[in-house]
Amino acid sequence: MREALDVFAKLDGEARFVAGGTALIPMIRLGLVKPDRLISLNRLAALTEIRLLDDGMLGVGAMATHAEISHDRLVQAGWPLLAEAVKRVASPAIRASGTIGGNLAYAEAASDPAPALMCLDAEVRVASHAGRRAMPINEFFRGFYEAALEPGEIVTGVRVPPPPKGARSGYSKFTARSAEDKALVGVAALIVLDGGRCTEARIGLGGVAPTPVRARRAEATLRGEVLSNAAVRAAAEAAAAEAEPLSDLMGSADYRREMIRVWVRRLLVALRDGTR
Amino acid sequence: MKLAFTLNGRPCATEAPAHWTVLDLLRDGLSLMGTKYGCGEGVCGTCTVLADGRPIRACLVLAAHARGRALVTVEGLETEGRLDPLQTAFAERGAAQCGFCTPGMLLAAKALLIENPAPTADEVRDALSGNLCRCTGYTKIVEAVLAAAPGSG
Repeated sequence: MREALDVFAKLDGEARFVAGGTALIPMIRLGLVKPDRLISLNRLAALTEIRLLDDGMLGVGAMATHAEISHDRLVQAGWPLLAEAVKRVASPAIRASGTIGGNLAYAEAASDPAPALMCLDAEVRVASHAGRRAMPINEFFRGFYEAALEPGEIVTGVRVPPPPKGARSGYSKFTARSAEDKALVGVAALIVLDGGRCTEARIGLGGVAPTPVRARRAEATLRGEVLSNAAVRAAAEAAAAEAEPLSDLMGSADYRREMIRVWVRRLLVALRDGTR
Repeated sequence: MKLAFTLNGRPCATEAPAHWTVLDLLRDGLSLMGTKYGCGEGVCGTCTVLADGRPIRACLVLAAHARGRALVTVEGLETEGRLDPLQTAFAERGAAQCGFCTPGMLLAAKALLIENPAPTADEVRDALSGNLCRCTGYTKIVEAVLAAAPGSG
């Protein structure tokens, strides 16, 4: 990795790092980026590790593919929300090539793993020739396809704290055309119930704003409340209100807002009732 | 750029420009035309081939990343002149219409059967999601994969 980062620092012109290539290769073909050099991160075995760290966190290397993460027993057992979200990325062939680091660096608003990792309060680790740093994933997405990465910086992995004890979580992906589409609205949610009362609520949304986001106001309406149908509806309403959806070929901003309301409500009800 | 990998069970040593994808390498470098160029963006699935038994989109994977891996294309599905059971099932059950999606369908299905020899219809549909058939002949394709599954009744 040192070598890859050093090579980048020495090159002039427009060099690009490439991970799985599932985002970069189409961008090159469409002429959106015109790199004169590609530096592949594919052979960096240390970046593909998925393991339990000494402090109890899950460590996922940037070059772990979505397929590897979704099949991983440790992830399935301890971080089911992440396993569920990466299993919804595009199609099997894309999941076999696409990586978690590439997905985050691409900063796709409709990312599937991002809302799940935001609910889990993950930390993104990055490195460049100049050194390493880490930041909460909730500070990682800066704007439309814009991540908090400096030139020459790569994502090296994520660290994911274990979910709170007794947490119920799930990821719902609504696609307008077919199952492998980008999410029109993606909803990750994690709740903890104590005798019917909600003691913790986290909601991450994809496809509803220029970046993946946490629905903080919706979360706040749930904490301390009994999860009645009315409370769930109010939270879904709040999530729809605080989102800043964009219109595109898949759906208008108004339609997206309506779908946030529907899919946040359905997921919360399913988690409350234990029907998923 | 020099490349060495396994192609359809045989060692292959060749050269390719650094910017080529696996699809460029197969069609333009090695004249294997079975793998089709559809959308070029990883969306349609017709360029699906296997790399170490897993499905990949040949149009999205750099040829450089094929180094040391084992690729299987539709030309490599038959063994000693005998069609793969998937190919036979597709032919017998009318699962190919215009045929353009067929190589990708066969390899996506092959990847599924390697991992899961007795899939359900839903698992077949899930494995083939992202492989588009513009003739819309999905029902017969799913039936053919189920018929070819070694673990099926």
